[in-house]
Amino acid sequence: MATTNESLVAAARESTGLATVYRALDDLVDLYALDDAAVVVDVPGFGRQVLHAGRRPLRRDEQGLHAAEPGLYLEPPLDDPVVSRLMLALGTLALRHDAGAATPS
Amino acid sequence: MSVVSLDELELRLRRLAGVVAVGFVETDDLVLVEVQAGPDADDDLARDATLLAAEYVRGSVAVEVVRWGDGGPHEPEARLRLVDLATDPGVGEVTVRLARGDEEALGRASTAAGLPAAVEATIVAVRTFAPELPYLPGWARTVETTPDRRFLVVASVTDPLTRTHRRGVAEGATPIEGAVRATLSALNRSIARDL
Repeated sequence: MATTNESLVAAARESTGLATVYRALDDLVDLYALDDAAVVVDVPGFGRQVLHAGRRPLRRDEQGLHAAEPGLYLEPPLDDPVVSRLMLALGTLALRHDAGAATPS
Repeated sequence: MSVVSLDELELRLRRLAGVVAVGFVETDDLVLVEVQAGPDADDDLARDATLLAAEYVRGSVAVEVVRWGDGGPHEPEARLRLVDLATDPGVGEVTVRLARGDEEALGRASTAAGLPAAVEATIVAVRTFAPELPYLPGWARTVETTPDRRFLVVASVTDPLTRTHRRGVAEGATPIEGAVRATLSALNRSIARDL
């Protein structure tokens, strides 16, 4: 059975940037037994983007993520600035990567 | 999920002006795509998102666009709201009471056909305020039950002349309430100018 790290690395090697971010969010939820997770990024060409664990709809967005500053939003909160920065970087890179991959040369 | 390329669809949706989030829910026979958009979204966002979703999804797809202004969800000036909802199992009837400002209207339908009765009763009540409403009741389905026992329902109405379908999504404490609210969600934008 693949460990969390292995499956995340496999996603990064074989899947899209978006799929890798969602894999990472799912891993965070599983690892810390969270109720929810989302990362908000601001990427040139996309603007502010919210990526919600499981690709689930935000619906009424009780957390106000649509207007949130870039960062990692976990429920319950997890005070780990390194994880937050890594997820923010991963989300930004993922969209930049996928946008580049989808652009015809 | 019966989507040709989920990542590609999501990426293209996120590239539409004003889109801030994209989510998906899949049932046995329907893929629901939720697009959350900010105040800078184009007026044609719903059409553009629907065309994209139809390009990538095999089978039935419903697109819900949630628009946010600067401070919260965009609310049209004229909007019908649900005041009361009652079911009478003895008679086999559902009654929907809607309001626009201080005015109220009732709509009733037989529950023999199940959940679509909520769509029908809602349309009957809406016609009090918008007699020229071209839409007929379609269907309603519960697509998800949340852990706190709320019901996410998709409702569909159809204009038989133009063969236009409008679909709305909403939550309710019961499937019937969800269906009524989903029907209002499907209709409110199109009828606002007639109210």
